[in-house]
Order: sequence, then C-alpha cells, then structure tokens
Amino acid sequence: MNPKEALQSPVFLTYVWIILGLLAGAGSVLGIMSRFSKKDLHSVWMTYRSWLVMAPLLLGSIFLGRIVTIAALTLIGLLGFKEFARATGLYRDWWMTGGVYAGILAAGVTTMVPHPGPATGVSGWYGLFMALPVYVIALILLIPIVRNRTEGQLQAISLAIVGFIYIGWMFGHLAFLANPTHHYGYLLFLVFAVEVNDVAAFTFGRLFGKHPFRSRISPKKTWEGALGALGVSLLLPWVLRFSFPHFAPRELVLTGLIVGIGGQLGDLSISIIKRDIGIKDMGATIPGHGGILDRIDSLIYTAPLFMHMVDYYHGLN
Amino acid sequence: MTPWKYESAEDLDQAMVERLRRFPREPDMLVYGLRSLAALTMRGWLRLYHRLEVHGRELLPPERSCVLVANHGSHLDTLCLLAALPMSRRHRAFPAAAADYFFQSVPRIWIAAVVVNALPFSRQVHVRQSLNLCQRLLANPGNVLIIFPEGTRSTTGEIGRFKPGIGALLAGEDIPVLPCHLAGVTRAWPKGKLLPRPAKVSLRIGPPKNYSTLTPGRDTAGMIAAELEQAVRDLAIQQGAA
Repeated sequence: MNPKEALQSPVFLTYVWIILGLLAGAGSVLGIMSRFSKKDLHSVWMTYRSWLVMAPLLLGSIFLGRIVTIAALTLIGLLGFKEFARATGLYRDWWMTGGVYAGILAAGVTTMVPHPGPATGVSGWYGLFMALPVYVIALILLIPIVRNRTEGQLQAISLAIVGFIYIGWMFGHLAFLANPTHHYGYLLFLVFAVEVNDVAAFTFGRLFGKHPFRSRISPKKTWEGALGALGVSLLLPWVLRFSFPHFAPRELVLTGLIVGIGGQLGDLSISIIKRDIGIKDMGATIPGHGGILDRIDSLIYTAPLFMHMVDYYHGLN
Repeated sequence: MTPWKYESAEDLDQAMVERLRRFPREPDMLVYGLRSLAALTMRGWLRLYHRLEVHGRELLPPERSCVLVANHGSHLDTLCLLAALPMSRRHRAFPAAAADYFFQSVPRIWIAAVVVNALPFSRQVHVRQSLNLCQRLLANPGNVLIIFPEGTRSTTGEIGRFKPGIGALLAGEDIPVLPCHLAGVTRAWPKGKLLPRPAKVSLRIGPPKNYSTLTPGRDTAGMIAAELEQAVRDLAIQQGAA
C-alpha cells in the first residue's frame, strides 16, 4: 500500500471517481435546490461542506499508504474517545483517560508492526491486537491500586473499559483492514457502504417513515428507514463486487447483512449513550455532523464484524 | 441501583475555538501538554536570549491565591512574570489579557488560551463583569492572577497611571497583591515591532500588600491603584540602583 500502488489500483481509482462523482452530483442538486426552493438549506450545506473536507482526508490517507492510514484511523479513535470522555465526565480523571489513550495507541502499534516471532504472513500483529483488551483492562484496573483510591472508581473503571473496547479497539479493527492484500477494496467498500447505509436509512425514513423503530432511543428512526437501508446495503456488495472479486455469493450476502444491520445498531448504540447522559451530540468537531463519534458510530459496530468475516473465509494476509 | 451521574464537559457543544475563547476553560490534556511545553521553551528563551533575572521570587505565597501587578512595556512582560512562577503553578496562573486584542482572531486566541492561559478581560465594556470573573478566580485557593493596571503597553518605557479597576478588585478582599517591576522590556520588544531584540530584561517582585480592611468604594479604589503604582515605581528605582 503506497502512492504508486494506489495510482495503479483500479479499485482505489474507481472509488475516487465514485466519491468525486457523488460529491459533485450532491453539490449540483443542492445548488439547484437552494436556487428554487424556499427552504432553509443552511444546515444541509454545512453537512455537505464537511463531507468535502472528510472525503479527501480519508482518500488522501489511504493514497499515502498503510502507515498513514493506520496512523490516521488511530488518531480518529483517540479523538473519538476524547469526545466520549468529555461527554461522560471521565475526562476529569487524567489517569484513566491517559490509560485508555495508551491502550488505543497500542492498538495502532499492534496493527502496524508484524508478529516478532515466525512469519505469519499478516502485516499486523494479529494475536496481540486481539488479546489487547486483556492487557489494557489490567492496566485500567491497576490505576486505582497505584493511586490507593476507591471512591467513584467502579464508574471510572467501567467507563474507561467501555471507552477502550468500544471506541478504541472495536473501531481499531477498521485500521487492521489496511493489512490484507485487498486493503483498498475492504477499507473503501466498508466506509463507503456504511455511509451509504446511513444516508439510505435517513432518506427512506423521510420518504416512507411511519412506524417508529426504537421510539425511546432514537424517536426519528422508523422501520421503513431501517428496512430500506438494509435493502440498499444487501444490494451494494453485488454492485461494488470489483472491491472483492474473490468473494463468493455467501460472503457478499454476509457483507450486506453486516453493514445493513450493524450500521443501524451502531447508530442506536451511540444514541443510548447520548440519551442516558442527556446530550444531543457527542461534540462539535465536524460542523453539520456533530462529533466524530456521531459520524463513526456505525463503523465502530460493523468494522470488527466485517474484519472477522473476511478473516474466517479468506484470512488477513 | 441508583443511576450513575455523568458530569459532561460544559463546553461539549462548542467548536475548538469557542472552547478556547470561553472562561473558565475546561481542562484539556492536550492543551495542558502544549502549554507546559511552551512554558519550558519560553523559560529557556528568556534565560538565554534576554538574560532574564528575577529578584524576590521567595515573596510569592506558596499556597494561597494572589495577584501580581506590574508595569506594562511589551508582550514579554506576561512571559517574564509567568516564567518567575514555579512550573507546578503554570496552569493556575492567569494573565488578564485584553479581550478586544487577544480574543478576536483565531491565531491570537490560540496563543492567549493555550500558551499564555489568559483570562479575557474587556477593557471598554463589561469591566464590572470582567472584575467579577477575576474575583471568582481568586476565591479558589492557589490561583495567580496577573494584571497590568495601566491597561495598555507603554511606548516610552515610562510607567503610566494605574487604573482604579485594580483597587475595586482588591478592596475588602483578603488577597495578597505583589507589586512587580519589569525593566528593559520596552527596549527589548517595542510596541509595533514584529520580533524582540536580544536585550537584557529583569523582574523585581516586591513584598505583598493586603487591602482586606478597606471598605470598597470609589475613593478606596483610586487610593489602592495609586499606592500600587507608587510601589511599582519604588521597585523601579531599586532596579535602577541595583
């Protein structure tokens, strides 16, 4: 994975064209709409402008190569956890947040370096990456012992563990997809499909939504939106089959299910956290989108499932 | 089972720049790290390039909150006063900085909030509110407030008249205030110049004063300001003699 390989990779180039095309298309539609519609499209423009920044950042890191991609995704994980810590109040405990930051960095490093023992054929240190929660939880449990504290520590320990496993490690699986030979297809398909799934859920919900899906967690979501998105997501792996030409129909169906169901569940999971805390967005990092976590919530849920499916059928080398 | 209580950051829904502009700012590990790094760099720079000398450092109260008032000759003043404090108090020292100058453009907000840890002080409007902000800050133990009562940088190196706001802040409050004099700063970095010159600067800290027995009022405020101005002038004479 390097700039030269990216320029010669039909998969990478096709995604660049698809994304450029969609951005240009969406921009023109928005332009026409704001010409002729009287609706206030300010917030839609803001969302769109943020996409104009995020898409090149993602494509740029993947273009630059494996190390940059893993580093960039690790940074997103760190910033995502920072939002979680600020929202839950864990950020006041610098020891705990520091421990989790160290854990997320370790996830990035184990994704980058190979197993030091006999060659496994995988560019990352898969064994340690998968075993990392053991060590990071041990570290988190060590913190109150070193500080000789008990008060409020169960809450701090629990939040730190959720923060690491859910945001640092589960999202970290996305970076691990930079390791296999078909990295461009896996990475770009997953990110693209999850975002399409989000947009499809929103669109179908707007157009046909009647029956509330999980009324107490996310009142705007409807069964119609969820099923519409699932339909689109089941179709997408077949349309974008060039991303993983070695996939049998069974894997294409599984991919569609993982994105179509996992995407919604990831969205709902972050909503539960937000509702329990009593906040609307996890942060204000991305104008028009909210926080980083509001943007990557679906990826957190789908990335590990997709990675393990790939590993099961084709391995990660 | 009682549900957990979450204490979200108060600036959760604000973008980075707004978070830096607000006061008091929420603690942020990255900002603290950058500030510590900047403080160490500044200390080295002042020591080597400006041969900074500090007299009277031992007069600073170690635990209590206190106010440092000084003459204002350049942007170096704040950095010199900050460098005189122990590193452990670096994140609890707040120079009052003109909100209209330091908290308008993004690069200046970054420097003021991250490097300097400034308290945005409105000089023209809302002076009373800004003073209240200072008072709240001093109510917590261990904070250091740095104020330049002249309200602006001197262009000649002469000490200007101290504004009575400093008196209004201190009258009737049991807070030690230390007069400080900075010598050589106008020559080292004149107002309007882009970069400082390698001239020597020195800082002299005077013994603390306390105005807790005075009743707040217009006259007392003016009197305190005049007395502090005189104290700084006296330090200037000592500096010249030394």
